[in-house]
Parts: sequence; C-alpha cells; structure tokens
Amino acid sequence: MAEAKDLIKQERMPTLWCAGCGIGIIFHQLAGVMAAAGLNSKNATVVSGIGCTGRMAGYFKMDSLHTTHGRALPVAEAIAAYRPDLKVVVASGDGDLTSIGGNHLLHTSRRDANVTVVLVNNEIYGMTGGQSAPTTRPGSITLTTPVGSEANPINIQGIITSNRRHFYARSTVFHVPHLKKCLAEALAWPGFALVDIKSDCPERWGKMNKVKSPAEMILAYKQQFKINPKPVGLLADGEIGIVKRG
Amino acid sequence: MKRLISGNEATFLGARKAGASFYAGYPITPSNEIMEYAAKYAAGHKDFRFLQMEDEIASAVAIIGGSLAGAKSFTATSGPGFSLMQESVGLAYMMSVPTVFIDVQRVGPSTGMPTYPAQGDILQASHGSHGDYQALVLAPNSVEECYRYAVESFNLAEEAQSPVIFLTDGFVGHLEEVIDPDQIEVSAPAKRLREPLGTGCRHFTGLLADKNGIPRTADSKLYQDWYWSRKKQILTAAEKYKFFEYVPNKKSDTLLISFGISSRLCAELQKDCGYFRPIRLYPILENELKAAAKDYKKIVVVEANDGQYAGEIERVLKREVRRIALLGGEIKLTPILKRLESISVK
Repeated sequence: MAEAKDLIKQERMPTLWCAGCGIGIIFHQLAGVMAAAGLNSKNATVVSGIGCTGRMAGYFKMDSLHTTHGRALPVAEAIAAYRPDLKVVVASGDGDLTSIGGNHLLHTSRRDANVTVVLVNNEIYGMTGGQSAPTTRPGSITLTTPVGSEANPINIQGIITSNRRHFYARSTVFHVPHLKKCLAEALAWPGFALVDIKSDCPERWGKMNKVKSPAEMILAYKQQFKINPKPVGLLADGEIGIVKRG
Repeated sequence: MKRLISGNEATFLGARKAGASFYAGYPITPSNEIMEYAAKYAAGHKDFRFLQMEDEIASAVAIIGGSLAGAKSFTATSGPGFSLMQESVGLAYMMSVPTVFIDVQRVGPSTGMPTYPAQGDILQASHGSHGDYQALVLAPNSVEECYRYAVESFNLAEEAQSPVIFLTDGFVGHLEEVIDPDQIEVSAPAKRLREPLGTGCRHFTGLLADKNGIPRTADSKLYQDWYWSRKKQILTAAEKYKFFEYVPNKKSDTLLISFGISSRLCAELQKDCGYFRPIRLYPILENELKAAAKDYKKIVVVEANDGQYAGEIERVLKREVRRIALLGGEIKLTPILKRLESISVK
C-alpha cells in the first residue's frame, strides 16, 4: 500500500518549517492518509494559500498550486467544478482561510464545493513574524496584541455547521491517531469537508507567550482537549471530534 | 443567421468560438449580460462550467484554477470589480496562466455612473496590478469586433500564456447591431500548450521559482532572467496580434487617434483628419503609431477619460499630444468638434 513518502517530494526535504512546528506533523499525516486513500498525481491536487502552511502544497508529489493570500478556496472550487475526476485538497493556515479568505470560507462551504480543507490552526501569523489572527485566543500575546488579545476568536465550527449539509472535524497535533481518522473521513466525505487542527507555533506564539519548548506546547493539547467520539450537536470548547450532517 | 446582437452577447459568442469552457464571475453593470449568457449556456451544456462567485476576487482566482484544470477560462466585470481582480492578474502573469478578463467600462471612480460608458480603465488594464509586467489589452469598437477580438483575446492568452484584458465599455457592450456570427471569419482556436492538472508533479506558485517550481525568493539573478524572458515571450506572442486601423488623410495636418466607442465618433471625421485606431492597446503599437504620426503636425487623442492613453502616446512619440476628453459618459460628436476648432485656431 502506498504510504506518506510516496506522496512527498523527497528532493525538497527538509521543509522550511521551524523545528517543533506542528505543520510538519500534519503534512506527514495528510500525505499518509491521502496515500492510503489511493490518491496520487493522477487523481488529486493540493492547493494552498500564503503563509507557513501555504508552502505545504509544493512538497506534495503531484500537481499543486500555491495561490495568493486567502484565495486557495475559490481556486480549489474552480478545479473541483471543472474536474470532478480530481480530488481537490486545500491545505492552508488559519489566517489565510479565516481572515483574508474568510468570505471564501463562508461561500465555498455554503455551496458545498467538493473540496477537502485541512486548516492548520496555530492561532497566529507565523510567516510574517507573529501577528494576531482571527483565531488568536483572548489574552494571547502577539506582535499586534502586546498586552493580550481581546477580540473574540472566530467560530469556525459555527460557520461550517451553519450549512445544512456539513462536515467539521477538530483535532490536534498531539492526538495523531484521531487526526488521521479525521483526515481520512474528511477525504471520503462527498462535498465540502473541513478539518480544523490545533497546531503549535513554538517560534512565534510559543516564545511570545513564554512556553519553554515545542513539546510543552504539544503536550498542553493533551490537557486542553478531550476526544468526544459521538458529539451530540456541536463540539464544546476543549472537545475534539467530528460533527457532520449528510 | 443575421440578427440583432449586443456587444456583450457577441463577446460571449466569441469566447465560445475560441473554445472557452469555464466562466466565473460576480454581477456588475454593465457587464451582467455576459454572465447571464454564460449561466444559460452552462445549463444546457455539460462541457461548459459556470460559477457565480461571492466577489470579484474569487472570480478572478477561480478562472486561474479553471484554466490550470484544463479549461479556457474567463470572467467579465467593470471598473470597481476589475480593481478587485488586479491581484490575480499579477498571479496569472507570474504563474503563466492563460486567462481572459473582460472589462466593460463605466464612469468612475468608485460607483460613479454605473450605467454610463467610459474608457477610464486604460491604465488600470495596463498597470493595475503590482510589480512590473507586460499587459495585453485589446479594445473592440463594434458588435462584430466584440465577437472577432474576443476570439483573438483567447488565442493571444494561450500563445502568451498570460492574462489578456478585453476592454469594452457600457456603450459597445449594450449596443445592438445586426451581425451573422457564422459568416464572420475568425482565427481558429489556439491550441492549449500546457497539460491540465492531474498529469504531473508540477508546482504552480506566485513566488519566483526555478524551472522545477522550487521557490527561489532570494535569487536576484534568477528574477532578472525570468523577467526578461517572460517579457520577451509576451512581446513575441503579441507580434501576431498587431490590430489597428489607419486611414491617412494627406490634405490634413491633424491625426486623430481614438479607440473603442470614441473611435466610432472620430470615424465620422475622416474627411477632415487622419484617423488611427489602435485595437491592440497594449503592448502599444509604437512603430505603427510613429510611422503614422510623422505625416501630421498635430496629434489629437480622443478618449472617454482625461488623457490616459494620450499620455502613453506622448511618451511613445516624444512630442506634444493634444487631448480631447469625453467625460461623464457623454459620447457625442459636438464636444469633439468644438475642441478641434479651438485647436486649429491656436
């Protein structure tokens, strides 16, 4: 059976991501789940926006797109509309997909485009140095919230589940078997599916918020999140799982 | 069959004739009919896909996705929407993605006069995106030309592997003339040069990248090599698309230069003045303009904006260029005649 390494451009390793960053975990798991699902350069494509996660598309051993900031979704939707034979996977960050691309998230999900979205949610803009994002939790220190963020974090689960048909999964880079399950179910879902993955940014978020190591950040997810195997209604804060309606 | 056809319908028919099979757009006056024809056509033809997007930003990137997916792709908009699309024009240029952006111009800035025609997007069409790039812009002046040059726009986009701006206006777009598209001889649809997605391991990126698609964002030499070869690629492709009309007038000391809807007025003055009408606005027809202009003492550019193209022509000819600005959607001969009188009095 095909595995992660079969879908990764080995000649491009190592990636540009910082040591300890969660994106690498997600990339590796996504490649593995895609390979296991039989996806390859003939039947799939990966589309990214801009930012740290935006670089993920380029590491896949298949045709891939690195678009402008926030625009992965409409590009992916167009490809999916014209080429139903291709599995279209979007891999991008929280700033890209929920802030500058927030309007596209509302509408591509509303139109139930046949796109699987892997949202790497590290609650910060990493590539540009560590500014606050719509996902940044209250109290977090970032370059643009030096005394702590005050705004409400965006409710991604609420946006996706407001659609009659929906697939929303939440996982973390600590809960790898659960993450794999979420990714596999999302890929198999006919229509718009989004996996919201809590992921650590040790270099930016971690350092500004006085976390000592990447391991400390990732282990914190173990404390903060519990798997809810069969959520009734929506996932509560601190729960990870899959919320779907066909 | 001969029938009354609007410029916007003819533009859509031209796109189809060129083999276009993907449209994404967002409603805006006076371009809406193009979108409506696309929606209606898609409803009856499985090989043509239509997407109504949430805004012009999404529309512009969607046609980039559509084009890479394998479809000749286009969108239509007007000034404010075209502004929102500019980022993607740069992406299409950088990623070498053939796409056609139709701008049915109206009076701006901002919401301005949505139902009145203008030619105020000349510089937006040529320099509206960021960074240095060589724009490709065609401007028809009749319903028949909307059809004919829509075909050429798609062909040029394929040959140059680049975005092409098809610049009409609210007047030409809504003008109805009797034509028979089946009897209009147009160029054969250009072949696609790139295999669609799902056939390789290519990486398409807006970053500076080497031939393998690997980002090289700190390589100035690579940028310079890329820049000049891309520019050359565009200019070479455009060689075959030097569309213009020149009617000399040996008795006159004045050359009128005009394009699009304004040129329909100026054509009435051919007995009094020389008449030069660029159809390919960009790359500017420098040699053709210079050759025509040398026989005249006065150069007058008539356009529905405050001298946008006149400034370009002045730069090319390196001599004084007089301007006649048709503003506020008033596309009439009287103000042109008045201004011409005052010019000759001087």
